[in-house]
Amino acid sequence: MVNFDNAATTYPKPVSVREAAAEAMRLYGGNAGRGGHQLAMRTSRAVYSARETAADFFGAQPENTVFTLNCTHALNLAIQGVMAEGGHLIISSMEHNSAARPAFQLAAQEKITLSVARVYPDTERTVESFRRLMRPDTRAVVCTLASNVTGQLLPYREIAELCREHGICFIADGAQACGLIDVKLGDGINILCTAGHKGLYGISGTGLLVTDGAFRIKPIMQGGTGSASQSLEQPDFLPDMLESGTLNVTGAMTVKAGIEFVKKHGAENIRRREEEICRSFISELGSSGVTVYRSPEAGYVPIVSFNIDGVQPERAAELLSEKGYCLRAGFHCAALAHATLGTENGTVRFAPSAFSRSEDASMLARTIKKSLI
Amino acid sequence: MPSYTFALKAQKLLRARGYPTEIRRSDPAPGKSCGYSLYIAGSCRAAAEVLRQYSVPFSGMSGGE
Repeated sequence: MVNFDNAATTYPKPVSVREAAAEAMRLYGGNAGRGGHQLAMRTSRAVYSARETAADFFGAQPENTVFTLNCTHALNLAIQGVMAEGGHLIISSMEHNSAARPAFQLAAQEKITLSVARVYPDTERTVESFRRLMRPDTRAVVCTLASNVTGQLLPYREIAELCREHGICFIADGAQACGLIDVKLGDGINILCTAGHKGLYGISGTGLLVTDGAFRIKPIMQGGTGSASQSLEQPDFLPDMLESGTLNVTGAMTVKAGIEFVKKHGAENIRRREEEICRSFISELGSSGVTVYRSPEAGYVPIVSFNIDGVQPERAAELLSEKGYCLRAGFHCAALAHATLGTENGTVRFAPSAFSRSEDASMLARTIKKSLI
Repeated sequence: MPSYTFALKAQKLLRARGYPTEIRRSDPAPGKSCGYSLYIAGSCRAAAEVLRQYSVPFSGMSGGE
């Protein structure tokens, strides 16, 4: 079995991540941030070290680095938290449902007004889309750094600059970009939301919200934090304000180990190697009977979305699965992105990881040509 | 300190400046909530200034200068 569905979650995980999970289960059995006994303190120190590692990786302060269940959780905290007082929100037309659904829900409840900025392969046209939608009551922009469907990199530095000019909050979805490009809050991002289990190689059930603290995020969930316990009000300081309930300690330790794995190999190196696999895959696939959703005008993270003439995407993925290849087909939880692309039946998505081998990608391309085209 | 996160941040800042420190669970004072205390060997006043510089919140200090 060969996994080319790493945009959903990376597998396999690095040995160091597997060891970190085992070590966490063995040593860090306390409840982080609660109590003063040795086990709790040891666990709390371990979680803080993971927080420091993630904060350093994204150019943030440890206390502004919040562990979440996944990127969807982080995006919900950010979108609902920043838009709690209403106002106008702009999202890109390539957003995953993790950003689009909370935004549309708030709009449907008439708590906010919402605009969708069309994304083009061309940077200037995309930035102009956002610029045209700016209003005096615009409170935030939500934009993915890279599409989970096509891998297209969005011009987030330019969009961040636009937000800075207007004094509004820039919320970035880094699920497909973090670990592959060097993302920093210093790029103009106010709130970065990302998964821990994709390009950061942590286990499933991990995510991060990292903020520069410039915009208040009203908590959408309240509960025990181990702090200010006599008060019935949620603490007003980070990370406790957004981290109610017992943390996923094992998850946090695997995210730490995963980030260290990425740092050791270099995000750009990992991306370059995976992109070579993508280019080779596209080349071997050929253009006859295949549509690849890439434009020469745009940049991409290592994801290739494609369709085979006359074969439904889900059927193609099913046939490939029978031959041992794991690829994700359909709409990839990204209704807006597929509407933007005009892919009414969805696509098949090829997504390598740091552990993918070019010979496996070649074999897959040959299998597709032999069996499906 | 309001949370263990800030207690550890404070400890790291102060240790880097040569202050031996220890984190202990605080007894909640009447009307206050539980939290963590940082025991510092050295001048509390100078240590507090470091924490203020780095925006590390703390509710007060007791003991030596």
